[in-house]
Amino acid sequence: MTVFKPIESYADLDAKGFTYRNSREAVLRLPFPYPEDQYMYSMNVEPHVPFGEGALRAQFDIDEHYISECHHRAQILESQPGVHYAALPHMMEAQWDLLELLMESYSRDYPEHFSLEKKGSQWRWINRPLGLDDSFTFGDASTLPMEPMEYITRQAQGEFILLEERDDTLVMGAGMATQRADYSLRFNLGMSFMEFHGPVPKLHEMGILQRALKFLLRLRPGHPVRRTNWSITVNPRLETSAETLPDWAPDRTTVTAQNAGELVNLRIELQPLHRLPRSNAVLFPVRTYLVSLQQLADFAPQWAKRMHRVIRDLDQELVDYKGFTRYRDAMVTWLSQYDDGTPVDESQQ
Amino acid sequence: MLITGIKSRPVYDRLHPMAGGLRHLIAGQGSGGAAMLRLIGDMSNEQRGNSTLLYSVESFSGHNHLQALQQAEVAGLEVFASNQELIDALRERLGDARMGTRLYLSGSESFIGTAMQAANAVDLNRDEVLREHSGTLVRRVWCAHCDTYTENVTQRVFVCPGCQLHLVVRDHYSRRLAAFQGIKADGEVPGELPAAEELDT
Repeated sequence: MTVFKPIESYADLDAKGFTYRNSREAVLRLPFPYPEDQYMYSMNVEPHVPFGEGALRAQFDIDEHYISECHHRAQILESQPGVHYAALPHMMEAQWDLLELLMESYSRDYPEHFSLEKKGSQWRWINRPLGLDDSFTFGDASTLPMEPMEYITRQAQGEFILLEERDDTLVMGAGMATQRADYSLRFNLGMSFMEFHGPVPKLHEMGILQRALKFLLRLRPGHPVRRTNWSITVNPRLETSAETLPDWAPDRTTVTAQNAGELVNLRIELQPLHRLPRSNAVLFPVRTYLVSLQQLADFAPQWAKRMHRVIRDLDQELVDYKGFTRYRDAMVTWLSQYDDGTPVDESQQ
Repeated sequence: MLITGIKSRPVYDRLHPMAGGLRHLIAGQGSGGAAMLRLIGDMSNEQRGNSTLLYSVESFSGHNHLQALQQAEVAGLEVFASNQELIDALRERLGDARMGTRLYLSGSESFIGTAMQAANAVDLNRDEVLREHSGTLVRRVWCAHCDTYTENVTQRVFVCPGCQLHLVVRDHYSRRLAAFQGIKADGEVPGELPAAEELDT
């Protein structure tokens, strides 16, 4: 049973006194994104079936930060209305699909925390960690306090994007994105798959986007797939949108070889993609995990060793895109103290 | 962060008569008038008879094709002093439009982009619209930080009139907002600006 930590603060809300930390257990269950000592883009997609006891066990993972993250989402939505949640009007059916999928998944995978009772279209949803007990009519948005997507994703960890299939591509139709990595939801809304991937280097030339799109257009309901992605963030800051760049980009100048362990966080994104049954939309969730290099080295030294090699040898274009050009060397110096040159053995940590 | 070489910039068409159309709405602005005239010349008499022209004389480069357009043998010509007035009228025409309507747009990127917002509002299909770009590629830019739109931007770095930040214009285009993205140019170190550069206008 997941034990939730009391509400923690993230660096984007209280930079001076953030209390976000991972326990040893939380680090060891991470979906670590480097299968090898080198990293390059690939079609790293696999069937989203339960695996092990960590982040890949449930359909939608929750961990010890669940209450903190929901609290964070509520604060961000309140402080910047209209910036982090948006849905085009014709996406309502997909919103209900999403609500159903999250409620069914959470109540099945975490019955001690969530319950869903259905009598026809009369549904009762109980969320014990957040203290909610709500009854509503499925399909009737007027019986919920807000749109179904906003309602359910305020109770979920991770970012959620709904993609509509149209003109042989996927178009961004709705999003709950209080923790997005350096893009603007309002700007990207309505963009096609190729357009919203426009700023990512190399993908177009490598042919990966064409293959990924073909693959996703064949996605069937009930057969989700997953991939991981990653980035680097200074301080445990979930909300790093294009809009708030003036607030967080200056942090990049503060990293040194001495403080990198404390300041630099590996930002892991677990992305389980689902085809939704009524709307035929594709759900693209980004479940984000932040872990400081220090905590990674303390609790999972084999992963720290591998990360040293990945960051040291990473293609410069990817370093620029992920935004740590200014402090890559400091990170590598700091991480090198955990790399003795021997092969990485994950069974040893 | 990628500033140039982003793949979201629209690719434009060359206007030509769409054979399946029963009614033709031809809207243009400034130097776009030349493409309108060429299109009308390529049409059959019947197509011309089912064509309505909407022309705005607002122009960044000073081109005006009004006189020639007035000579065209079409069903109607409406003239507007500004692009905004034209787009408001276009929105009304499209609201009343029936199946078989085809839309042709020619003018600046900003004009085409905002006119496309009207077309998307009524869900015109991709094969019911043609867009031909003409004149300069001055850009309409959306500020990610204060939500201000600035027209006719020609420099890679400019000061946002809304929030006074130095913005760098990315080659990243949103059809929904009909604008390029501007973000704080000296985000990491205040005052450390990218090199000034003329946009490929």
